[in-house]
Amino acid sequence: MMLAGSDIAKTTTHKVVLPFYIYAALAFVVSAVLLLASSHAFSGHYFQPKILAVTHAMALGWGTMIILGASHQLLPVLTGGKLYSPSLAYLSFIFSGTGIPLLVWAFYIFDMHWPAQYGAVLVNTGVLLYLINVGASIDQSRHGNVHATFIFTAGVWLFITTAVGGFLVFNFTAHILPENSLHYLSLHAHIGIAGWFLLLVIGVGSRLIPMFLISKFNHPGMLWWMYFLINGGLVIFLILFLLPFPSFTYLFPAALVAAALVLFGAYCRHAYRQRIRKQVDGQMKISLLSVLMMIVPMVFLFTIIAVLLLSGASTSLVLAYGFTIFFGWLTALILGMTFKTLPFIVWNKTYHAKAGLGKTPHPKDLFSSRMFNGMAFSYLAGFVCFAVGILAGNTLITQAGAVLLLCSAVLYSGNVFKIFFHKATVK
Amino acid sequence: MNVATNNDLRCTIALASLHDVLDPEIGLNVVDLGLIYQLNFEEDSRKIFALMTLTTQFCPMGQSIADGVKNNLSACFPGYDVELELVFDPPWNHEMISEEGQNFLNR
Repeated sequence: MMLAGSDIAKTTTHKVVLPFYIYAALAFVVSAVLLLASSHAFSGHYFQPKILAVTHAMALGWGTMIILGASHQLLPVLTGGKLYSPSLAYLSFIFSGTGIPLLVWAFYIFDMHWPAQYGAVLVNTGVLLYLINVGASIDQSRHGNVHATFIFTAGVWLFITTAVGGFLVFNFTAHILPENSLHYLSLHAHIGIAGWFLLLVIGVGSRLIPMFLISKFNHPGMLWWMYFLINGGLVIFLILFLLPFPSFTYLFPAALVAAALVLFGAYCRHAYRQRIRKQVDGQMKISLLSVLMMIVPMVFLFTIIAVLLLSGASTSLVLAYGFTIFFGWLTALILGMTFKTLPFIVWNKTYHAKAGLGKTPHPKDLFSSRMFNGMAFSYLAGFVCFAVGILAGNTLITQAGAVLLLCSAVLYSGNVFKIFFHKATVK
Repeated sequence: MNVATNNDLRCTIALASLHDVLDPEIGLNVVDLGLIYQLNFEEDSRKIFALMTLTTQFCPMGQSIADGVKNNLSACFPGYDVELELVFDPPWNHEMISEEGQNFLNR
């Protein structure tokens, strides 16, 4: 048999991708347990050891690890080439995967000596290897495009975020920066949120959402606008931060990022309206909901700046802002997209050689839809409950929310393992 | 659904068999999706030449779908060598979906 003219995606081996998914699923459970154990801390200041531990478990263990895994899988889809080096991907997993628990544990017990320092160095090494791999993969492909530009730039911002984070860790004990670490927290957080998560989600989502909806819509011009708005906003934010300007000036970069979000919302709406398949499955519904959920942290951000101008910082608003990013928008997107990507990766591994030779299960049959629905319900209820608890300053409500989010994390992980251990059945 | 061929009878048999090859994401078979452009049969050299496309050039399931078509044709015509070529010109568009396929997607 021959396959000529095979100018198609060279799929990354599942051996590279699956460890990231498994790691992220476990990190989600750990994060939810930490959230439950730290619920009382959410009625105080945001710069607390337990909140730092939960945030880093979510941002690195959950969000970043699954995005690293998915982007190794999606690079060939985005660039038409193949992953430059699976070995670099394994090394990236080992370094990041070892560094994250050290860092989270160090924050939890607030020991900024060796566990935090080794953790930070290991995470930075893992991220640097990832960035090299992404850059080399794009460089060797023949189809550089707006999506590839998004993914590479997001990787650069991720490296800047973790490098700044590393300096902040060492600054606790060695005082290498002019100010204390708390001063730089918003810089570290925002380049991570907008530079890494937002750029990557828009770059990849703008490819996957129309693809999964089977939509005719494609508009690279809109994507370039989003790219320049977000990066422009980030650069202006950096300048405002480093050369202290009055608080109201922060509205300008926030407005640029908000404009990019409006454009992304419009992009997804066009893709949805021009879809060929009318039925939209549960995974896509929750992914599209996550796009709407981007509005919530933006409303909090503008409120925080307004309150800051009028009466000083509000810690509950800052906590709600961070929570709605990591447990809101980002988690909703991952919950939906996991069950659009992971079943296909495992299906490809299991049924690739058997394709066309008999009746194989559909990729969506690899996971339990009942567990998925239970996960989605407990997630949405837990998210709303916890956010209300933060704003009301009520520990009982945050604890109830944390229990529901833990249920969601357990159901998510159970379904991920169900896919992972799927055995071939061909009729 | 217009599939070019040099052997109508064998092409009909092949297309009936290819109804079993699904795009795993869409859940629709490659024939009703309009992915098959050409099926030629060379009896002397016992070769089948299949020309097909994918819904998107960098479809992550592309290799599996193409392998599914090859495997299916090999099983349907034992002893024949299958040569499969993927092309993206003309690019696939939704108007290539058959009426049955449209009904399936509009459910």
